[in-house]
Amino acid sequence: MRTVLKKILTAMRGGVNELGEAVVDSQGNRILEQELRDSEQELKQAKHELASLMAEAASLARQIRTEQDSASKREDDARKAIAAGQEELAREVAERIVGHERRATELTQTRELLQQRIAGLKDRVQKAEKQLADYRRELQVVKTNERVLRTTAQIDTNINSQQSSLSTAKETLERIRERQAREEDRQTASATLEKELTGADLDEKLKAAGIDGEQDAVNDVLARLKGSNTPQ
Amino acid sequence: MDTQSLTLALGDATHAGRTFDVMPIAGEEPVLQVTVSGAEETPVYITVTDTQILCLAYLFDEQELKPERLNELHENMLRLSVPMPLSSLGKTGQHYVVYGALSPASGTSEIMQELVTLAENAIDLLQTFEDYLA
Repeated sequence: MRTVLKKILTAMRGGVNELGEAVVDSQGNRILEQELRDSEQELKQAKHELASLMAEAASLARQIRTEQDSASKREDDARKAIAAGQEELAREVAERIVGHERRATELTQTRELLQQRIAGLKDRVQKAEKQLADYRRELQVVKTNERVLRTTAQIDTNINSQQSSLSTAKETLERIRERQAREEDRQTASATLEKELTGADLDEKLKAAGIDGEQDAVNDVLARLKGSNTPQ
Repeated sequence: MDTQSLTLALGDATHAGRTFDVMPIAGEEPVLQVTVSGAEETPVYITVTDTQILCLAYLFDEQELKPERLNELHENMLRLSVPMPLSSLGKTGQHYVVYGALSPASGTSEIMQELVTLAENAIDLLQTFEDYLA
C-alpha cells in the first residue's frame, strides 16, 4: 500500500496527472491485477488442499478408533481364553492385539504428520487472504485515483465548453452574495407586508408621532382610578 | 445505485425543502452535475464506482490563491475538515474540493442529505476562505 501511495504522490507533485493521465501506468496496473489473480488462485488451491487433508485426517482418526476398539475387544477374548486354560488360543489372540496396536500407532504417527501439514497450510491460507485484501485495497486506491482524475477532467472540459471558462471563486462568491442579498430583501419585504396586513405599521407611525393607543388607555384607567378615589 | 437511477430519483424529489436539478456530464465516465436549490452557485458532481458514490464540489483553484498564505490556508482546511459534517476537504489536480463518499448501498435519502450538505458547506467554505483569494 505504501508504495502505491508514494507513487501517486510523486506523480502528482511532478504534475504528471494534471490532465487526468494515469498515475500508476497501465503496466503497473496490469501487474497489480495479475498479482491479485495469482493470489486468488493460490488461495483457492490452498483451500482445496486443506479441505482434502482435513478429510484425510478425519478418516485416519476413524481408522485409529477402529483399531483401538478391535484391540480392546480382543483383550476380552484373550482374558476369556486364558481363563479357559486355552493358552495357544490366547497367544493367537495376543498376536492379533499386537497387530491392531501397531497399526493404531502407525496411523497415529501418520495423522500427526498430517496435522502438522494442516497447520502449515492454514497459515498459508491466512497469509494469502491477508495479501489478497492488501492487493485489493491497493488496486482500489489506484483505480479510485484514476477515476477521480478522469471525472474532474471530464467536468472541466464540459464546463469549459459551456462557458468561456470555469468561473472563478470570486465570481462564485459574488453570485452567492447577490442571492443572499435577494433573500434578505425578500425577507424584509415580507416582514413589511406582514406589518401592513396587521396594521402594525400604522401603530408604529402613531407611536413615533407620540400617539400611543396603549399608553392612552393606561392613562385613562389611571385617571379613572384617581377620580373614584377622591372623596366627593 | 447508478447515475441513471439517481437522475430519475433526484428529478422529482425534495429533501429538507430543497429540490435538485440534475444534468449528466458528457463523456466516458458516468458523471452527474446536481444543482441544489438555494445553493445554486456551487453545483455538486456525482460519480458512482463499484466501491463508492463520490460527491464533490469545487471550491477554488490553486492559481486563485495568495501564494504567501497557502500554508495557513492548508492548515485551516485540515482543521476544518474533521468537524465538518459529511464533508472532507481535498485537492485534485489544481482544484481544491469539498467532497463526501457514500457506500454504493446508500439510499436516495442519504444521497440527498449528502448533496444538500456539500452544496451548503461549499458556500460556507468559500465565504470562510475568501481572504485567501488573490
